[in-house]
Amino acid sequence: MAQPLEGTFSAEHSARLLRNYRYVVERTMRALGGWIALTPELSAKLLMGRHVWDLAQHCDAFGRRLPELRAHAQESESANPSIATFMDAIEEPEAPDQTVERLVGVYSVLKPHLRATYREHLARANPVYEPPTRRILTRCIEDETRHIVAGGEILGHLGGTAAAKERARVHQARLDGLLAAAGGVAGDGMPSSPLTPVEPLPADLSDDAREFIRLETATGTWPVPAGLRDALSGFAAALVARDSKALSHWLAPGVAIGDVAWETLCAADYAGHKVVAFARLGHQHLVKTRLDGSAGSVVVLTRWTSAADGWRVAALDVLGRDPRPA
Amino acid sequence: MDRPIAYDKLAREDRFVRMRAREVAELKVSQGLPPFPDLASAESIKERVHGIMVGELQAMEGAGRSVCDFPDAPWEFTMDMARQVWDESRHVEIYLRLLDHLGGYAGEFPETTILWRCACAEDAAARVAGVNRGLEGLACDVFNQLVHIARKIGDPVLERAVDFVLADEITHVRMGSKWLTKLTEGDAERRRRAIEFQENIDERFNLGGVRREGDHDAVSISIATDVRRLAGFTEEEIERLIKTTQRSQVY
Repeated sequence: MAQPLEGTFSAEHSARLLRNYRYVVERTMRALGGWIALTPELSAKLLMGRHVWDLAQHCDAFGRRLPELRAHAQESESANPSIATFMDAIEEPEAPDQTVERLVGVYSVLKPHLRATYREHLARANPVYEPPTRRILTRCIEDETRHIVAGGEILGHLGGTAAAKERARVHQARLDGLLAAAGGVAGDGMPSSPLTPVEPLPADLSDDAREFIRLETATGTWPVPAGLRDALSGFAAALVARDSKALSHWLAPGVAIGDVAWETLCAADYAGHKVVAFARLGHQHLVKTRLDGSAGSVVVLTRWTSAADGWRVAALDVLGRDPRPA
Repeated sequence: MDRPIAYDKLAREDRFVRMRAREVAELKVSQGLPPFPDLASAESIKERVHGIMVGELQAMEGAGRSVCDFPDAPWEFTMDMARQVWDESRHVEIYLRLLDHLGGYAGEFPETTILWRCACAEDAAARVAGVNRGLEGLACDVFNQLVHIARKIGDPVLERAVDFVLADEITHVRMGSKWLTKLTEGDAERRRRAIEFQENIDERFNLGGVRREGDHDAVSISIATDVRRLAGFTEEEIERLIKTTQRSQVY
């Protein structure tokens, strides 16, 4: 049966939609690019790193299509001031401890909406005279589907605690509200079925979130030599107890804990300790020990050297205090 | 969003220990060790691969910042930087897996942030000159040698993986040359400053004579003249680099 010749959009309208999509996709691409450096977790870094290029290609495809629709190439246009406000809110979380908020904004709010919007556009774009736009939308839908699945995996990994889930819920509710108030990315109202379930796809297109998580969590135990293990444990216990006499036993001659470091250590009570980094520097070892308590945590970096009487601390630095409980 | 960001905002998981490169080198020398890992043993290859992995991580972060920091740059510039982000993110994965292949782990050696500091240059032209031509040029030298060493020790996994990364790096150098020219068209002073920035980086990464012209087995980092030609460096530039390595300060 022949395809219908009736169309929903004029060329002008179609160009406007593409500029609107390009506006949010371009801002998202630049935000993801900028966030990679601001995000501590490797899995999230790799996720963003993979998707910046896909989004750049989406922008480029929208931008190249524009002159074919009697519009200027590579132009972005915010549908209305409210969508700019929504994008400002998406870009807002820049602190290192806001990875969950960054991911929620892009992967739980914007991308599902974009996918639904593209699908609705595709369903209405005439197959006889809009194949160029339809091909672009088809590719974008495919990519966004993959991104949503990968982002969901990473969010599940990084946002599993009750506190993180609550932060994600609050942030998502705020962004959902802003997006709805803007009438969606094109300002024409929200698509009818934004919550279509997304099925997992075969992970053969280089953004396998499970592999990113494996790479982040691959180091299960540190290869600490037996003698050093006991020393680390004794030193950390002395740190938790703020026992200066016991601490001095572990310090190499000439090494002292500075006043500022000592004040930081004494700013809260700690109940436990954990080695969070273990590096080699020639024959010496660099060790980060995190002290945890109900009033937050502190990380102490030490450099250990092997002496005639066993392992001793050759240098010590308190890297900073995090007031939130671990 | 803050554009650009201060270099000390670079975020890391706790498992990485960050130190100044000079301090790392001095502490190694004080233990009677070379300041920079050579490729003479499995351990030193592992340490070199760890250093490369961290470099790829910072290269991904730096290219990402270039996508973010220069919204008014030509669109094709953003496209090239976005492509580089994708490439570098795959390189991070490749080197993490190579590290695993060599029996190492992420965080096994301290991380220095010279590369990241170079990637924080405020001018886009300086950034592409310094990162894409200076640092990616260094990557061409290091990876070309690593492919050779991998072949020599019979490690086809290392050889093949690094060979593909090297191909990407050549592309990144070409991007750098293209954008150094395009971004500084009609602005000789901007071009001069960008090139000066790159030359400072080249000088720094000569690592006090560690990088030199010479056989892969004879020098710690061998200048990959053929690969550099392929990447678009001129004979004059290669010659100048070789000359600077002969007068580099000891680390």
